[in-house]
Amino acid sequence: MPELVKFKLNDKELTAEKGTLLIEAARQNGVEIPAFCYYPGLSLQAACRMCLVDIEKRPKLATACTEPVMEGMVVWSDNEKIHTARKTTLEFLLTNHPLDCPVCDKGGECELQDMVFRYGAGGSRFVEEKLHVPEQKWSPVVYYDAPRCILCYRCIRICNEGMGVGALGLNYRGVNSEIVPNKGDHLECEECGMCIDICPVGALTSGAYRYQTRPWEMTYVATPCAHCGDGCKVTLSVRNNQIMRGNNRDASGLNGEFLCIKGRYGYDFTHSAERITKPRVRKNDELVECTWTEAIAAAAAGLKAAKTHGVIGSTHTTNEENFFLQKFARQGLKTPHIDHRRSADFPALMDALAGRPATPSALATSRDVLEAPAVLLIGNNPTDQHPMLAWNIRTAVRLRKQHLYIVNRASIPLVAQAEAAKIAKAGEEIEELERFRDALAKEKDVVIIFGSEVKGADITKLVAFGDTLPGHTRYIALADNANSRGAVDMGVLPDLGPGYQPAAQAGMALDEMLAGNLEAFLIVGANPARRYLIQAGKAFVVVQDMFLTETAQIADVLLPSAGPYEKGGTVTNTYGEVQRQKLGLLVNGAKTDLEILSLIARAMGFDLGAANAATQSNEVFEEIRRSVKGYNIAAAALWTGSAVPAVTLNGAVPHRDRPDLIASSNDTLFTSGTLGRYCSALSAVAEAKERKNPEGIGK
Amino acid sequence: MISDTLNTAGAIAKGMATTLKELFQPTITEDYPFEPPNFEGRFRGVHVLQRDANGLEKCVACFLCAAACPSNCIYIEATENTGDNRVSAGDRYAKVYNIDYNRCIFCGYCVEACPTDAITHGHDFEIASYETGTLVYRKEQLLAKEPQGAPAK
Repeated sequence: MPELVKFKLNDKELTAEKGTLLIEAARQNGVEIPAFCYYPGLSLQAACRMCLVDIEKRPKLATACTEPVMEGMVVWSDNEKIHTARKTTLEFLLTNHPLDCPVCDKGGECELQDMVFRYGAGGSRFVEEKLHVPEQKWSPVVYYDAPRCILCYRCIRICNEGMGVGALGLNYRGVNSEIVPNKGDHLECEECGMCIDICPVGALTSGAYRYQTRPWEMTYVATPCAHCGDGCKVTLSVRNNQIMRGNNRDASGLNGEFLCIKGRYGYDFTHSAERITKPRVRKNDELVECTWTEAIAAAAAGLKAAKTHGVIGSTHTTNEENFFLQKFARQGLKTPHIDHRRSADFPALMDALAGRPATPSALATSRDVLEAPAVLLIGNNPTDQHPMLAWNIRTAVRLRKQHLYIVNRASIPLVAQAEAAKIAKAGEEIEELERFRDALAKEKDVVIIFGSEVKGADITKLVAFGDTLPGHTRYIALADNANSRGAVDMGVLPDLGPGYQPAAQAGMALDEMLAGNLEAFLIVGANPARRYLIQAGKAFVVVQDMFLTETAQIADVLLPSAGPYEKGGTVTNTYGEVQRQKLGLLVNGAKTDLEILSLIARAMGFDLGAANAATQSNEVFEEIRRSVKGYNIAAAALWTGSAVPAVTLNGAVPHRDRPDLIASSNDTLFTSGTLGRYCSALSAVAEAKERKNPEGIGK
Repeated sequence: MISDTLNTAGAIAKGMATTLKELFQPTITEDYPFEPPNFEGRFRGVHVLQRDANGLEKCVACFLCAAACPSNCIYIEATENTGDNRVSAGDRYAKVYNIDYNRCIFCGYCVEACPTDAITHGHDFEIASYETGTLVYRKEQLLAKEPQGAPAK
């Protein structure tokens, strides 16, 4: 039980936890003390002088953001003296701030605008001409307009402390003060755009959004991001079926306000000129556009004519689509050959942890990372591949003194936050753990996070190591894409059905299928042709995709599918947290993968249910809740936007170990498999050219 | 009976006197549609998007008119001015500016909301049409003429 102190605010007796800052204590009790530079979680600045309060027995007003509450403190936040102080502060802030609100991107959601409206004076006594400095372009996505800046230093602090990048600094003094990027006239950083988001005024603006629309003109849809496996929520600002920007100022998701470049700018594949919007059928060795009726009939006829089928699923489609796909394969086509590109060995982890109770779970959630006293990170480079995980670790190390231990094949950026780090040779990660045994034995609870480097038998060894540690050890396996976990949970695997239950008949894995002599393929949202040689013309290939990928080019029937922001459903992030995906916009011509599959099923005469396009996603979700072990989750929580962990630990998982198939595509912050190729903002920034995806593989 | 007749004749004479008097006064009705009508200066007709002295559009696409519009008839798409394509004096301009006269109620709120005095009411009012599609006016139809002798853009 934390110690409480009593204090008096505006003649009201209140209590707060000892050590709370006055500004926070007031907020907790429903009293607003205005501030610009104060930001929860960041270091204190006391730069803006907006939060001045009157404290008894103090000759001068004090800043509420640096003053912890004390027993018996008497404070006023709403008297004549403070009103005058606020008016004067705002008058000073507006000395050089241009009044170009009508053209400023921040107009309508600007903290300065709101504050002046609420606390400011009607006029200004300054008659001097305002200082003007031309606008600067720091990178294709970050622009800086110095006169608008009110010098709250939030951007500098979020970049230093939150991102651990430290790309921003301050030049000159007094009214000439300016925020400067690390390379003098331009930025070289992670291009996450956190500085733009956190800016209370329109000084930092986004290259992708600026001068296009106004905040009240758009509708806001909070939905899981389409890229990596972290499951951040991005709030899409949509106008006329077009995504204008992505951010997460409403902190509606697991990620709080955090987003990386992919989440914030990686939505423009939706509007890419390369989107396919009409079905195509191969005629005389050429893909020609046709109607949906024609294409569905051609796909059904081709699949029907073939005796053996291979089905390849996606790590980007929803749980509903993946569940329906495996049902389509196993019950419709009656083939056991179904797989997807794997990037984490979830079956081995579930098997190694078999028999553990559901609560407290041996699987950690994203929030557990934030709260754990210690984290052991084996492999992976979260800064590039799981930016939210890296953000959570940095936050926990900074604010909660979390201890981070790293075993990796290379020195990753998170080493800066680590208590101890070891470079391990490939395949020797587990042996290297012994060096940390004594240190980890002293920690209370450890969360062990591992990338695709640890798989198969190594996971059993890792769990055996975790078991020797005192305290409650929990595990996280890191998979590449938005629904990589969902694809495994939904049984898009040759040996396992939904919920890690053994399949009735084990089929061929991805590489065996593509090397074998199957007569037909159904490939949904995957691009295996990028890594494997698929001999065109040998088999009948049906592809559902958004773009003309390498795989789509060899298709016999190509069906344009809707992107992740264009459909409802659920996705499961790499931590096993299920989130609802919301329909943000519609793109003409495309159909959701679920609708396409149900149309083919109907044309082939399969009775798989969920035939009505308007309700099928919910119908399949209900079926998942009923039939998939661990997915009987609280629908109400899901529907109101929460992330609900699926309980996937359900006894032994007899699976066929194929560690050679498990590989991460090692995407950087600026690549995202095949999808990333169609995001122009990702490739526009200078850093993207320097940090190319080394293996060049993905999706 | 006789007095009634006299009274009636008197009333007619009085009325006719007024008529005769007015017959030689100048007319106050207007000869519309054969002559253009005269307007008060504040008459609210079809909007005009004004230009500044240099011929640049005054509109900076701030969307305040659209926000003020009670019948939601203004549609704008904004974009940025560039060095070789400067359309307005501000940082941005309206790439698309449509007013739907099917919906417009000529209330003038847009004109009041405009921070740059870009949108004004003109005096054109003859916009009736048999086809509602023609009542969505585009920016090109609303813009004021470029001033004579304006410097080249």
